[in-house]
Amino acid sequence: MNGDEENKLIGRLKKGDERAFLALYDRYASRVHGLTLRILGDPMLAEEATQDTFLKLWSRSREYLAERGPFLPWLLTIARHVAIDRLRLETRRPTLSNSIDPDETWQNLPDLDSVTDESRWRSLYFAVQELHPDQRDVIELAYYQGMSQSEIAEVLGWPLGTVKTRLRAAMENLRVVWNEN
Amino acid sequence: MTHDEHTPHRGNIPAYAIGALDDRDVAALETHLRSCLSCQNELAEYRAMSASLLMAVPPKHPPAALRTRLAGKLPSARKITRPRFTFSLNRFALGLTVIALFVLNLVSLMQLRQIQSQQARLSSQFENAQAALVMLSSPNIIMLPVLGENVSGTLLLDRERNQAVLVTQNLPPLSENQIYQIWLVKPDGGRDSAGLFSPESGQSYTTQNISTSQPFSDYLGIGVTVEPAGGSDAPTGERVFKVDF
Repeated sequence: MNGDEENKLIGRLKKGDERAFLALYDRYASRVHGLTLRILGDPMLAEEATQDTFLKLWSRSREYLAERGPFLPWLLTIARHVAIDRLRLETRRPTLSNSIDPDETWQNLPDLDSVTDESRWRSLYFAVQELHPDQRDVIELAYYQGMSQSEIAEVLGWPLGTVKTRLRAAMENLRVVWNEN
Repeated sequence: MTHDEHTPHRGNIPAYAIGALDDRDVAALETHLRSCLSCQNELAEYRAMSASLLMAVPPKHPPAALRTRLAGKLPSARKITRPRFTFSLNRFALGLTVIALFVLNLVSLMQLRQIQSQQARLSSQFENAQAALVMLSSPNIIMLPVLGENVSGTLLLDRERNQAVLVTQNLPPLSENQIYQIWLVKPDGGRDSAGLFSPESGQSYTTQNISTSQPFSDYLGIGVTVEPAGGSDAPTGERVFKVDF
Protein backbone atom coordinates (compact mmCIF):
# COMPACT_ATOMS: atom_id res chain seq x y z
CA MET A 1 0.00 0.00 0.00
CA ASN A 2 1.45 3.34 -1.01
CA GLY A 3 0.65 6.77 0.33
CA ASP A 4 -1.98 7.44 -2.32
CA GLU A 5 -3.81 4.24 -1.52
CA GLU A 6 -3.69 5.06 2.17
CA ASN A 7 -5.06 8.53 1.52
CA LYS A 8 -7.89 7.05 -0.54
CA LEU A 9 -8.71 4.63 2.24
CA ILE A 10 -8.74 7.44 4.78
CA GLY A 11 -10.96 9.48 2.48
CA ARG A 12 -13.40 6.58 2.18
CA LEU A 13 -13.24 5.99 5.93
CA LYS A 14 -14.27 9.58 6.56
CA LYS A 15 -17.35 8.89 4.45
CA GLY A 16 -18.22 5.86 6.57
CA ASP A 17 -16.82 3.14 4.30
CA GLU A 18 -16.53 0.05 6.51
CA ARG A 19 -14.36 -1.84 4.03
CA ALA A 20 -11.84 0.99 4.09
CA PHE A 21 -11.91 0.88 7.87
CA LEU A 22 -11.17 -2.84 7.91
CA ALA A 23 -8.41 -2.39 5.34
CA LEU A 24 -6.75 0.15 7.62
CA TYR A 25 -7.24 -2.23 10.52
CA ASP A 26 -5.48 -4.98 8.59
CA ARG A 27 -2.71 -2.56 7.84
CA TYR A 28 -2.13 -1.11 11.31
CA ALA A 29 -3.65 -3.46 13.91
CA SER A 30 -0.31 -5.02 14.75
CA ARG A 31 1.21 -1.57 15.28
CA VAL A 32 -1.58 -0.48 17.57
CA HIS A 33 -1.68 -3.75 19.45
CA GLY A 34 2.08 -3.77 19.90
CA LEU A 35 1.87 -0.35 21.52
CA THR A 36 -1.13 -1.11 23.75
CA LEU A 37 0.50 -4.34 24.86
CA ARG A 38 3.73 -2.49 25.62
CA ILE A 39 1.83 0.03 27.74
CA LEU A 40 -0.61 -2.27 29.50
CA GLY A 41 1.47 -5.46 29.69
CA ASP A 42 -1.72 -7.53 29.82
CA PRO A 43 -2.96 -9.29 26.63
CA MET A 44 -6.65 -8.94 27.47
CA LEU A 45 -6.44 -5.29 28.46
CA ALA A 46 -4.30 -4.63 25.41
CA GLU A 47 -6.90 -6.27 23.18
CA GLU A 48 -9.62 -4.08 24.63
CA ALA A 49 -7.48 -0.98 24.22
CA THR A 50 -6.74 -1.93 20.61
CA GLN A 51 -10.45 -2.35 19.99
CA ASP A 52 -11.24 1.00 21.61
CA THR A 53 -8.54 2.66 19.54
CA PHE A 54 -10.06 1.46 16.28
CA LEU A 55 -13.55 2.35 17.43
CA LYS A 56 -12.27 5.87 18.07
CA LEU A 57 -10.72 5.82 14.62
CA TRP A 58 -14.13 4.91 13.21
CA SER A 59 -15.94 7.67 15.06
CA ARG A 60 -13.24 10.37 14.86
CA SER A 61 -11.69 9.80 11.45
CA ARG A 62 -12.85 13.24 10.29
CA GLU A 63 -10.53 14.80 12.86
CA TYR A 64 -7.48 13.52 11.04
CA LEU A 65 -5.95 16.16 8.77
CA ALA A 66 -3.24 14.90 6.42
CA GLU A 67 -1.57 18.30 6.23
CA ARG A 68 -0.72 18.11 9.91
CA GLY A 69 1.25 14.87 9.66
CA PRO A 70 1.21 11.21 8.68
CA PHE A 71 -1.65 8.95 9.62
CA LEU A 72 0.16 6.26 11.63
CA PRO A 73 1.59 8.54 14.37
CA TRP A 74 -1.85 10.10 14.71
CA LEU A 75 -3.42 6.68 15.15
CA LEU A 76 -0.73 5.56 17.59
CA THR A 77 -1.17 8.72 19.62
CA ILE A 78 -4.82 7.76 20.06
CA ALA A 79 -3.72 4.25 21.03
CA ARG A 80 -1.26 5.63 23.58
CA HIS A 81 -3.89 7.81 25.22
CA VAL A 82 -6.44 5.00 25.26
CA ALA A 83 -3.98 2.57 26.80
CA ILE A 84 -2.67 5.02 29.41
CA ASP A 85 -6.22 5.99 30.36
CA ARG A 86 -7.02 2.33 30.73
CA LEU A 87 -3.91 1.82 32.82
CA ARG A 88 -4.99 4.58 35.19
CA LEU A 89 -8.51 3.21 35.30
CA GLU A 90 -7.27 -0.17 36.34
CA THR A 91 -5.14 1.57 39.03
CA ARG A 92 -2.53 -0.99 38.39
CA ARG A 93 0.95 -0.37 39.59
CA PRO A 94 2.97 0.42 36.48
CA THR A 95 5.09 -2.47 35.31
CA LEU A 96 8.48 -2.18 33.76
CA SER A 97 8.64 -4.10 30.49
CA ASN A 98 12.32 -4.85 30.45
CA SER A 99 11.80 -8.36 29.23
CA ILE A 100 10.87 -7.79 25.62
CA ASP A 101 11.10 -10.86 23.45
CA PRO A 102 13.75 -10.08 20.80
CA ASP A 103 12.26 -12.61 18.42
CA GLU A 104 9.17 -10.45 18.12
CA THR A 105 10.97 -7.33 17.17
CA TRP A 106 10.05 -6.17 13.71
CA GLN A 107 9.71 -9.69 12.34
CA ASN A 108 6.02 -9.40 11.59
CA LEU A 109 6.26 -5.96 10.23
CA PRO A 110 4.47 -5.63 6.88
CA ASP A 111 6.23 -4.04 3.95
CA LEU A 112 6.34 -0.33 4.39
CA ASP A 113 6.85 2.22 1.72
CA SER A 114 9.36 4.22 3.64
CA VAL A 115 12.34 2.02 4.38
CA THR A 116 14.13 5.05 5.79
CA ASP A 117 11.48 5.72 8.43
CA GLU A 118 11.28 2.07 9.25
CA SER A 119 15.01 1.78 9.82
CA ARG A 120 14.97 4.90 12.01
CA TRP A 121 12.21 3.45 14.15
CA ARG A 122 14.12 0.21 14.40
CA SER A 123 17.26 2.06 15.48
CA LEU A 124 15.30 4.02 18.03
CA TYR A 125 13.83 0.82 19.42
CA PHE A 126 17.26 -0.70 19.88
CA ALA A 127 18.52 2.57 21.32
CA VAL A 128 15.82 2.36 23.99
CA GLN A 129 16.82 -1.22 24.74
CA GLU A 130 20.46 -0.27 25.00
CA LEU A 131 19.90 2.53 27.47
CA HIS A 132 21.22 2.06 30.96
CA PRO A 133 18.48 0.17 32.87
CA ASP A 134 17.81 3.14 35.13
CA GLN A 135 17.35 5.42 32.15
CA ARG A 136 15.22 2.85 30.34
CA ASP A 137 12.94 2.52 33.37
CA VAL A 138 12.41 6.27 33.43
CA ILE A 139 11.56 6.38 29.72
CA GLU A 140 9.25 3.41 30.15
CA LEU A 141 7.31 5.02 32.97
CA ALA A 142 7.27 8.51 31.52
CA TYR A 143 6.46 7.79 27.92
CA TYR A 144 4.76 4.43 27.83
CA GLN A 145 2.90 4.73 31.11
CA GLY A 146 2.19 8.45 31.12
CA MET A 147 3.73 9.27 34.50
CA SER A 148 5.15 12.62 35.57
CA GLN A 149 8.65 12.91 37.01
CA SER A 150 7.22 13.23 40.54
CA GLU A 151 5.15 10.08 40.08
CA ILE A 152 8.20 8.21 38.79
CA ALA A 153 10.20 9.35 41.80
CA GLU A 154 7.48 8.02 44.08
CA VAL A 155 7.13 4.70 42.27
CA LEU A 156 10.84 4.00 42.03
CA GLY A 157 11.72 5.54 45.40
CA TRP A 158 14.29 7.84 43.88
CA PRO A 159 14.87 11.50 44.65
CA LEU A 160 13.11 13.76 42.17
CA GLY A 161 16.42 15.27 41.11
CA THR A 162 17.71 11.79 40.21
CA VAL A 163 14.67 11.12 38.08
CA LYS A 164 15.13 14.42 36.27
CA THR A 165 18.80 13.72 35.62
CA ARG A 166 18.18 10.20 34.33
CA LEU A 167 15.27 11.24 32.17
CA ARG A 168 17.26 14.09 30.68
CA ALA A 169 20.22 11.79 29.99
CA ALA A 170 18.00 9.12 28.43
CA MET A 171 16.28 11.59 26.16
CA GLU A 172 19.58 13.09 25.11
CA ASN A 173 20.96 9.63 24.24
CA LEU A 174 17.87 8.83 22.17
CA ARG A 175 18.01 12.17 20.43
CA VAL A 176 21.58 11.51 19.39
CA VAL A 177 20.67 8.14 17.91
CA TRP A 178 17.62 9.66 16.21
CA ASN A 179 19.68 12.43 14.62
CA GLU A 180 22.41 10.02 13.48
CA ASN A 181 19.99 7.85 11.48
CA MET B 1 19.18 35.82 27.24
CA THR B 2 21.87 35.08 29.79
CA HIS B 3 23.24 31.62 30.49
CA ASP B 4 21.82 31.73 34.02
CA GLU B 5 18.32 32.48 32.71
CA HIS B 6 18.54 29.79 30.05
CA THR B 7 19.94 26.75 31.88
CA PRO B 8 17.20 25.88 34.40
CA HIS B 9 14.52 25.84 31.71
CA ARG B 10 16.55 23.99 29.14
CA GLY B 11 16.91 21.00 31.45
CA ASN B 12 13.14 20.63 31.56
CA ILE B 13 12.66 20.46 27.80
CA PRO B 14 13.11 16.64 27.42
CA ALA B 15 10.55 15.91 30.12
CA TYR B 16 8.18 18.52 28.66
CA ALA B 17 8.52 16.96 25.20
CA ILE B 18 7.12 13.63 26.42
CA GLY B 19 4.57 15.11 28.83
CA ALA B 20 6.43 14.11 32.00
CA LEU B 21 7.16 17.58 33.35
CA ASP B 22 5.28 18.29 36.56
CA ASP B 23 2.51 20.84 36.28
CA ARG B 24 4.25 23.29 38.61
CA ASP B 25 7.18 23.61 36.17
CA VAL B 26 5.18 23.74 32.94
CA ALA B 27 4.06 27.38 33.11
CA ALA B 28 7.58 28.71 33.69
CA LEU B 29 9.01 26.70 30.81
CA GLU B 30 6.26 27.73 28.43
CA THR B 31 6.90 31.37 29.30
CA HIS B 32 10.58 30.89 28.58
CA LEU B 33 9.89 29.06 25.32
CA ARG B 34 7.95 31.99 23.93
CA SER B 35 11.09 34.13 23.96
CA CYS B 36 13.86 31.57 23.37
CA LEU B 37 14.41 30.41 19.81
CA SER B 38 17.16 27.89 20.61
CA CYS B 39 14.95 26.17 23.21
CA GLN B 40 12.09 26.08 20.70
CA ASN B 41 14.36 24.29 18.23
CA GLU B 42 15.53 21.87 20.87
CA LEU B 43 11.95 21.13 21.85
CA ALA B 44 11.07 20.45 18.21
CA GLU B 45 13.87 17.90 17.98
CA TYR B 46 12.83 16.13 21.15
CA ARG B 47 9.25 16.08 20.00
CA ALA B 48 10.10 14.56 16.64
CA MET B 49 12.12 11.90 18.39
CA SER B 50 9.53 11.19 21.05
CA ALA B 51 6.77 10.92 18.43
CA SER B 52 8.84 8.22 16.82
CA LEU B 53 8.92 6.33 20.11
CA LEU B 54 5.32 5.41 19.26
CA MET B 55 6.65 3.48 16.30
CA ALA B 56 9.67 2.16 18.16
CA VAL B 57 7.61 -0.68 19.56
CA PRO B 58 7.58 -4.21 18.13
CA PRO B 59 4.38 -4.88 16.20
CA LYS B 60 2.18 -7.57 17.68
CA HIS B 61 -0.76 -9.11 15.89
CA PRO B 62 -3.93 -9.03 17.94
CA PRO B 63 -6.11 -12.17 18.12
CA ALA B 64 -8.04 -12.81 14.90
CA ALA B 65 -11.31 -12.68 16.86
CA LEU B 66 -10.75 -8.99 17.49
CA ARG B 67 -11.25 -8.15 13.82
CA THR B 68 -14.50 -10.11 13.79
CA ARG B 69 -15.66 -8.43 16.97
CA LEU B 70 -14.76 -5.02 15.64
CA ALA B 71 -16.57 -5.65 12.36
CA GLY B 72 -19.59 -6.65 14.44
CA LYS B 73 -19.66 -3.22 16.06
CA LEU B 74 -19.87 -1.35 12.77
CA PRO B 75 -23.25 0.11 11.77
CA SER B 76 -24.03 -2.41 9.05
CA ALA B 77 -23.52 -5.29 11.47
CA ARG B 78 -25.54 -3.65 14.22
CA LYS B 79 -28.50 -3.30 11.87
CA ILE B 80 -28.85 -7.06 11.51
CA THR B 81 -27.80 -8.27 14.91
CA ARG B 82 -30.45 -10.24 16.70
CA PRO B 83 -30.54 -8.30 19.95
CA ARG B 84 -31.33 -5.12 18.08
CA PHE B 85 -33.99 -6.93 16.07
CA THR B 86 -35.45 -8.38 19.23
CA PHE B 87 -35.40 -4.98 20.82
CA SER B 88 -37.22 -3.50 17.80
CA LEU B 89 -39.70 -6.35 17.83
CA ASN B 90 -40.36 -5.79 21.51
CA ARG B 91 -40.93 -2.11 20.90
CA PHE B 92 -43.23 -2.90 18.01
CA ALA B 93 -45.19 -5.37 20.14
CA LEU B 94 -45.35 -2.87 22.98
CA GLY B 95 -46.60 -0.16 20.62
CA LEU B 96 -49.18 -2.52 19.19
CA THR B 97 -50.37 -3.46 22.66
CA VAL B 98 -50.70 0.18 23.67
CA ILE B 99 -52.71 0.93 20.53
CA ALA B 100 -54.90 -2.14 21.09
CA LEU B 101 -55.55 -1.13 24.69
CA PHE B 102 -56.37 2.39 23.60
CA VAL B 103 -58.83 1.15 20.97
CA LEU B 104 -60.33 -1.30 23.46
CA ASN B 105 -60.80 1.48 25.99
CA LEU B 106 -62.34 3.72 23.35
CA VAL B 107 -64.80 1.02 22.29
CA SER B 108 -65.63 0.26 25.93
CA LEU B 109 -66.23 3.95 26.60
CA MET B 110 -68.52 4.25 23.58
CA GLN B 111 -70.43 1.14 24.64
CA LEU B 112 -70.72 2.49 28.16
CA ARG B 113 -72.15 5.75 26.87
CA GLN B 114 -74.58 3.87 24.65
CA ILE B 115 -75.72 1.80 27.61
CA GLN B 116 -76.05 4.89 29.80
CA SER B 117 -78.07 6.64 27.09
CA GLN B 118 -80.26 3.61 26.59
CA GLN B 119 -80.70 3.29 30.34
CA ALA B 120 -81.77 6.94 30.58
CA ARG B 121 -84.29 6.45 27.78
CA LEU B 122 -85.68 3.28 29.36
CA SER B 123 -85.89 5.00 32.71
CA SER B 124 -87.78 7.92 31.18
CA GLN B 125 -90.03 5.52 29.32
CA PHE B 126 -90.70 3.60 32.51
CA GLU B 127 -91.59 6.79 34.37
CA ASN B 128 -93.95 7.82 31.58
CA ALA B 129 -95.59 4.40 31.54
CA GLN B 130 -95.91 4.46 35.30
CA ALA B 131 -97.44 7.93 35.16
CA ALA B 132 -99.93 6.63 32.59
CA LEU B 133 -100.86 3.72 34.83
CA VAL B 134 -101.35 6.00 37.81
CA MET B 135 -103.52 8.28 35.77
CA LEU B 136 -105.62 5.39 34.51
CA SER B 137 -106.51 4.64 38.10
CA SER B 138 -107.76 8.17 38.63
CA PRO B 139 -111.56 8.66 38.51
CA ASN B 140 -111.19 12.14 37.00
CA ILE B 141 -109.25 11.11 33.98
CA ILE B 142 -110.47 11.92 30.52
CA MET B 143 -109.17 10.23 27.39
CA LEU B 144 -108.82 12.40 24.33
CA PRO B 145 -108.11 10.99 20.85
CA VAL B 146 -105.02 11.84 18.81
CA LEU B 147 -105.99 13.44 15.51
CA GLY B 148 -103.48 12.90 12.69
CA GLU B 149 -102.80 11.01 9.49
CA ASN B 150 -101.45 7.48 9.95
CA VAL B 151 -100.97 8.16 13.67
CA SER B 152 -103.22 6.99 16.46
CA GLY B 153 -103.13 7.41 20.19
CA THR B 154 -104.71 8.87 23.29
CA LEU B 155 -104.05 11.74 25.60
CA LEU B 156 -104.76 10.92 29.24
CA LEU B 157 -105.69 14.15 30.98
CA ASP B 158 -106.35 14.76 34.66
CA ARG B 159 -107.35 18.38 35.08
CA GLU B 160 -107.56 18.23 38.87
CA ARG B 161 -104.01 17.05 39.26
CA ASN B 162 -102.96 19.02 36.18
CA GLN B 163 -101.31 15.94 34.69
CA ALA B 164 -101.29 14.57 31.16
CA VAL B 165 -99.70 11.60 29.43
CA LEU B 166 -99.60 11.17 25.69
CA VAL B 167 -99.70 7.62 24.29
CA THR B 168 -99.16 7.34 20.52
CA GLN B 169 -98.83 4.51 18.07
CA ASN B 170 -97.11 4.23 14.69
CA LEU B 171 -95.23 7.50 14.95
CA PRO B 172 -92.72 7.65 12.07
CA PRO B 173 -89.11 7.35 13.22
CA LEU B 174 -86.99 10.49 12.87
CA SER B 175 -83.42 11.13 11.77
CA GLU B 176 -80.76 11.85 14.43
CA ASN B 177 -81.00 15.59 13.93
CA GLN B 178 -84.80 15.72 14.42
CA ILE B 179 -87.16 15.38 17.35
CA TYR B 180 -90.88 15.61 18.12
CA GLN B 181 -91.90 18.66 20.12
CA ILE B 182 -95.16 19.04 22.02
CA TRP B 183 -96.86 22.44 22.02
CA LEU B 184 -99.68 23.62 24.26
CA VAL B 185 -102.06 25.82 22.19
CA LYS B 186 -103.20 28.99 23.87
CA PRO B 187 -106.54 30.67 23.10
CA ASP B 188 -104.73 33.54 21.42
CA GLY B 189 -102.99 31.16 19.06
CA GLY B 190 -99.69 31.22 20.88
CA ARG B 191 -97.72 28.06 21.67
CA ASP B 192 -95.92 26.92 24.85
CA SER B 193 -93.42 24.10 24.60
CA ALA B 194 -94.44 21.09 26.71
CA GLY B 195 -91.65 18.61 26.03
CA LEU B 196 -89.54 16.74 23.49
CA PHE B 197 -89.63 13.07 22.64
CA SER B 198 -88.51 10.45 20.13
CA PRO B 199 -90.18 7.12 19.41
CA GLU B 200 -88.23 4.16 20.74
CA SER B 201 -86.92 2.00 17.94
CA GLY B 202 -88.52 -1.42 17.91
CA GLN B 203 -91.60 -0.27 19.81
CA SER B 204 -94.92 0.50 18.19
CA TYR B 205 -96.10 2.93 20.88
CA THR B 206 -94.61 5.86 22.71
CA THR B 207 -95.56 7.18 26.12
CA GLN B 208 -94.70 10.77 26.92
CA ASN B 209 -95.42 12.75 30.06
CA ILE B 210 -96.56 16.32 29.41
CA SER B 211 -95.62 18.93 31.96
CA THR B 212 -96.68 22.53 32.36
CA SER B 213 -96.68 25.11 35.13
CA GLN B 214 -99.98 26.55 33.85
CA PRO B 215 -103.34 24.75 34.27
CA PHE B 216 -104.24 22.66 31.27
CA SER B 217 -107.56 24.49 31.31
CA ASP B 218 -105.74 27.59 30.07
CA TYR B 219 -105.04 25.82 26.79
CA LEU B 220 -107.14 24.66 23.90
CA GLY B 221 -105.17 21.54 23.20
CA ILE B 222 -101.78 20.27 22.09
CA GLY B 223 -100.00 20.02 18.79
CA VAL B 224 -96.92 17.99 17.91
CA THR B 225 -94.43 19.09 15.27
CA VAL B 226 -91.10 17.82 13.95
CA GLU B 227 -88.32 20.14 15.03
CA PRO B 228 -84.51 20.19 14.86
CA ALA B 229 -82.81 18.16 17.62
CA GLY B 230 -82.82 20.20 20.79
CA GLY B 231 -86.21 21.73 20.03
CA SER B 232 -87.38 25.18 18.95
CA ASP B 233 -88.75 28.26 20.69
CA ALA B 234 -91.79 28.19 18.42
CA PRO B 235 -93.11 25.62 15.95
CA THR B 236 -91.11 25.56 12.71
CA GLY B 237 -92.02 22.14 11.32
CA GLU B 238 -95.23 20.70 9.94
CA ARG B 239 -97.75 19.51 12.50
CA VAL B 240 -97.92 15.70 12.74
CA PHE B 241 -100.99 15.46 14.92
CA LYS B 242 -103.05 17.34 17.46
CA VAL B 243 -105.30 16.73 20.46
CA ASP B 244 -108.14 19.05 21.29
CA PHE B 245 -109.07 19.58 24.93
